[in-house]
Amino acid sequence: MTSPARVLVIIPAHNEEDSLPGTLAEVRSKAPGVDILIVDDGSRDGTSRISREHGVPVVRHPVNLGVGGALQTGFRYAVEHGYDIGVQLDADGQHDPSYLGVLLEPVLEGKCDVSIGSRYVTSTGYKAPLNRRLGMLLFSGVVKLACGHTITDTTSGFRAYTRKVMEVCQHDFPKDFPDAPLLITFARNGFRLLEVPVVMRERVAGQSFYTLGKQLYYPYKNLLASLMALIRRPV
Amino acid sequence: MAFLSRTQIVVAVGAVLLALYVLDLVRRRRLSEEYSLLWVIATAVIAVLGFSTPLLVWITDLLGMMGAASTVFAFGLAFAVAMLLYLSIKLSRLGFENHALTRDLALLRHELDEMRARDGGEESK
Repeated sequence: MTSPARVLVIIPAHNEEDSLPGTLAEVRSKAPGVDILIVDDGSRDGTSRISREHGVPVVRHPVNLGVGGALQTGFRYAVEHGYDIGVQLDADGQHDPSYLGVLLEPVLEGKCDVSIGSRYVTSTGYKAPLNRRLGMLLFSGVVKLACGHTITDTTSGFRAYTRKVMEVCQHDFPKDFPDAPLLITFARNGFRLLEVPVVMRERVAGQSFYTLGKQLYYPYKNLLASLMALIRRPV
Repeated sequence: MAFLSRTQIVVAVGAVLLALYVLDLVRRRRLSEEYSLLWVIATAVIAVLGFSTPLLVWITDLLGMMGAASTVFAFGLAFAVAMLLYLSIKLSRLGFENHALTRDLALLRHELDEMRARDGGEESK
């Protein structure tokens, strides 16, 4: 590497005022070389205020678009501000910034275009409930159809993306949940995906994007979106 | 016209009234011309079927329907389905555009805030 790559950590946040200060402090201490962007996805609490108090740039959606929309906004910001790599990191403290190096390494070395911090590549002690495990099995199967190899943790929101990937996401992006359909879209666009093992923690505070009401709708919607991403021609 | 049934008259008059109402909505700019087209065509078809017994009977025989009334309702239902599908498509597109606009607005707003902070910092001295 000649000049160090510019890395932007994109943190989608929806009502995360409780966990955000801890997450920001941790990213700064464990990964001092990276910039941070908060995408406040229509929060009703002090998410934006806390970000500004910490001196972190914050882009605020006037209404809630979902984590996919927040990510897309972050990508656009990263592309416009000349970043080489974008890292997606949850605001709730689930993702340990000490793994940023592990996550970035294969992308920096050109081994892949998207690296995914996975709970399941090696045994990391995470045990999911049965319905979740079945869903994961199903979606990693669908993703395998598209990219040829298995991605075990399709729902992981701890990922690093090259600039090229973020550029493509400006016009080809599945709505709502950025998991299996998004990974398939990447594979269909010829991007290489790679999983790296990470340990994830319990969320500190706030509410998951995957709420109870979406639990029935989610598998249907996601499966359909995945299959459509499979047969749709990449742009 | 002597053999018009009561049902036919009710359906046909209803269709004509609806067509007039749709046109009035367009006149008052409450409904765009684009949407009115489907409505006007549908009401016209129903009205013609209602008023013209020979045509109705002919189509009924052609489609192998059990009764003339079924033909009218079948056309009405077909229209309702077409309209709902059309609206779903429009709604999806609106949602998509809304999504994109929201994201753009957020980024522009951020840029504006930054520019103001920069300018404000210089002017306040």
